[in-house]
Amino acid sequence: MADLLMDSGAAVRTANVLLRGVGGRTVLLRMPAMASAGDVTEQLGLATPQFQDLELAPVVFRSARATVTEGKATRWELLVAGDAVETLVGSMGYGAAESLFGATFGVLIDGVLMTIESTTASEVRGSAYLYRLVVRAPLVQVV
Amino acid sequence: MQNAKDTFYITLQARLAAVNPSRTIVVRGVTRPAVLVEENELPSDAVPLDAFRLRWTVLKVDPQAALPLVTMACEIRYATDGNAGNGGMDRGRLLAAMDAELAAALGAPPRSVTKTSYSTAPPTALGTNVFWGDAAFAPVAVTDERLERVATVEVFCYQEAGEL
Repeated sequence: MADLLMDSGAAVRTANVLLRGVGGRTVLLRMPAMASAGDVTEQLGLATPQFQDLELAPVVFRSARATVTEGKATRWELLVAGDAVETLVGSMGYGAAESLFGATFGVLIDGVLMTIESTTASEVRGSAYLYRLVVRAPLVQVV
Repeated sequence: MQNAKDTFYITLQARLAAVNPSRTIVVRGVTRPAVLVEENELPSDAVPLDAFRLRWTVLKVDPQAALPLVTMACEIRYATDGNAGNGGMDRGRLLAAMDAELAAALGAPPRSVTKTSYSTAPPTALGTNVFWGDAAFAPVAVTDERLERVATVEVFCYQEAGEL
């Protein structure tokens, strides 16, 4: 078993199965299109970029803290399977998961667009099998 | 007012690019001079380093003249961590370089430019100028290894009839 878990592929598969087993679901990454080279209208706020939503699954979505403070945005935690992220990184042509999350405008969860505050990866032998994203709800959603 | 803000940004961007063409940033996959207006970009918690960020703050309108005189304060924020390859030990020099670039761009004559509307294609020159004063450089704010400064410049323009 220990040998199996030392294999990064097994760790990725294990994380994927575990996330699905505890109610893994789908969220959408909202990505802005590339800026227009040589066109200043976007720089001046006259034009807005197009967005595309990319499916990310399986993920587990849970509250990242026990208490909610009035006037402060609620923080949530997304646990994302490493292979799902790697698939998106490859298909979108990014060099690394950090670049993908850095370019993401937000995560759409049940119709609410949340801002990514931080990302961390759990790795085995340099290969990420699980990503933890801390996301923040918009303040207007705070009750 | 918006035309004056747009004109000032475009002018400052061109001047800073002329002073140091190698200072660039990548925004959504496109490389451009390292100047941006915060309110025109996608909201983000990340602070772009080694770049100038414009933030429009105070607005005053003096209606006494034939054309109302508009005074706007523009905060120009910039920060650096230094080069990682140098262990950040050059962060003071990099901030000083940005100070000098900004001072050169703002201080170069003329300190005025024809107000232009960029909401039309091609942009349309309007009948009055945008002009600005000296930059006031605030003390350096030090946060861990990061050095950050805010320079404030007052930008003036006349509100033309029919202009939004």
